[in-house]
Amino acid sequence: MATVRFEGAGKRFGGVDALVDLHLDIEDGELAVLVGPSGSGKTTALRLLAGLESITSGHVWIGDKQVDALPPRDRDIAMVFQDYALYPQMTVYKNLAFGLRMRKVAPGDIDGQVLTAAKTLGLEDLLERRPRELSGGQRQRVALGRALVRQPQVFLMDEPLSNLDAKLRTQTRVEIARIQREFGITTVYVTHDQIEAMTLGRRVAVMRDGRLQQFDSPKGLYDRPANLFVASFIGSPAMNITEGSLEHAGDGLAIAFGDHRLAVGRPESRPDDGIGAYAGRKVLLGIRPEAMADASLALGTPEDRRMTVRVELREDVGSDVYAYFEGGPPVSNPGLAESPTGDDDEAGGNRRRTFVARLSPQSKAREGDAIQIAINDRALFFFDPDTGVRIG
Amino acid sequence: MTGRGDRAVNYVILASFSLIALYPVAGIVLAAFQPPGSAAGGFSLPSELHLANFAEAWTQGHFASYLRSSLIVAVSVVFVSTLVSIMSGYAFGTMTFAGNKVLFYLFLLGLMVPLEGLVIPLYFDLRALSLTDTYWALILPQIGLSVAFGTFWMRAFFLATPRSLIEAAAIDGARRWSILWRVLVPFARPAVLTMMVLIFMWTWNEFLLALVMVSSESLRTAPLGLAFFQGQHVSDVTLLAAGAVIVALPVVVVYIFLQRHFIRGMISGSVVG
Repeated sequence: MATVRFEGAGKRFGGVDALVDLHLDIEDGELAVLVGPSGSGKTTALRLLAGLESITSGHVWIGDKQVDALPPRDRDIAMVFQDYALYPQMTVYKNLAFGLRMRKVAPGDIDGQVLTAAKTLGLEDLLERRPRELSGGQRQRVALGRALVRQPQVFLMDEPLSNLDAKLRTQTRVEIARIQREFGITTVYVTHDQIEAMTLGRRVAVMRDGRLQQFDSPKGLYDRPANLFVASFIGSPAMNITEGSLEHAGDGLAIAFGDHRLAVGRPESRPDDGIGAYAGRKVLLGIRPEAMADASLALGTPEDRRMTVRVELREDVGSDVYAYFEGGPPVSNPGLAESPTGDDDEAGGNRRRTFVARLSPQSKAREGDAIQIAINDRALFFFDPDTGVRIG
Repeated sequence: MTGRGDRAVNYVILASFSLIALYPVAGIVLAAFQPPGSAAGGFSLPSELHLANFAEAWTQGHFASYLRSSLIVAVSVVFVSTLVSIMSGYAFGTMTFAGNKVLFYLFLLGLMVPLEGLVIPLYFDLRALSLTDTYWALILPQIGLSVAFGTFWMRAFFLATPRSLIEAAAIDGARRWSILWRVLVPFARPAVLTMMVLIFMWTWNEFLLALVMVSSESLRTAPLGLAFFQGQHVSDVTLLAAGAVIVALPVVVVYIFLQRHFIRGMISGSVVG
């Protein structure tokens, strides 16, 4: 077991920066997730750590060893690949034993270690099968077993769940979390799925365009996103984003956007904010769908924290009601948010004027109704319109 | 999807092409079984199966010696070419090194230049080394020619092999040598076997090189021997047919023996190509 440290790590592929100046300290025994859309550099970072790509600048440490120049076999790591990369002509047993044999483990010990790993993952009955005779889920477990059997210093996982169906994915996710906790092996996990990242990671590194955006606990990312990109990437449905202007209102501030105007509260009630400096200027506003409530069910919300909207679409999923309505103008610099061309379903949301609110299932709001939405002012996020950095 | 009518048409077309391809072959096989000395040209079923032609051809034509020579040459060429092609294909298919593009095109040149263009200078080169009229004169040039094809073939296969397989083995602690022989070659078996069959076939059937390089009768390969045999027995059709069958048989046997792998290799090869 060991810590992992990226120290200004960078990678260029023929003039293109795939990873820029990555600084990341991962603690011993921690499960850290690298998450981001495709091309964000998360996989490059993992491959640098594995030694599958040479580093262009900076350093990578595993424990107290600088591993920049070491070949993969000398880094004491194990990796689970997206396509599993099982040796097709070997049985499950031989797949698990291969790494031990290559490392000249005594034949007597190999058997014990393979059987232990097989038992942990419920593979005992499959040991004589070949990969092509296994289901996708079974292959996935063999891939995990092959990593586990060597008891490496660090586990590397490259989108290990993306080839599984939704149900199996959830099961396997829980399984990975269990095994990682049981063995306490430092794990670096790459995914493009923010739910996977938030549920698995003790800390999550959000990446974009080869640059680290924020490395924090899931709650930290959710409550205190560093910038508009992180804010729009984390959370489902995605945060509603619009452009508005911050105005003085009495002794406090208010934000006006589209046809709406909401009180922000006195600056001293938001002590960590820098929004005071933005009074009278254009800002970007983010409101999480779950920070909104049907005002008829949230009595006592003051008038200046409500907005009156006409429900365009109501989706009832049982536990929640999603109400869609006209929000404010879209962000004129869409590059600041999660890319609308990304493969995430919610990605297009930033381009539209439509807001979505996650309401209680008791809400009686119907399509076409004009209703009042109550908004918790602590749940308003403000971003600099030029840089996307969060200002409050 | 296709209706019965479509299927019928398909079968008619396939059957007629098979017939065109098989007619001369069947003609020779049937002729070989005709009564010895009969002037049965064309296509006629023998009244009974006569094996006498084969015995006669075998002794008169010294086919035992020719087949032995062919076997020595073909097996050596296949063995060495396969070994070398796997390694060079691995290098070209999975590694980047200085000059790999130029070197690869150099290899391709070996595929493009016909043997007819090389055989005369080759003869003088080998004579200078006193290798003419030895097995070496047949084995070495054919290894060279086969490695050009073999490298091309194995490179295509290794290029199409999932990269992660190589990377997984590298992380598991395997060095390049082990990755090749323990992980990739077992995986590549159909492609390797297909390559071996093709090289065996081409080497076995090579005529020009043997004609130019070898003068001793004891070194003659089967196709060359067959040519001499034909020269001596121009009129004896049944005997010639028997000789032809004897020479062709080993290739057919090898093909049938490996055909399951062969087909699979061709298919994976075509996807690669």
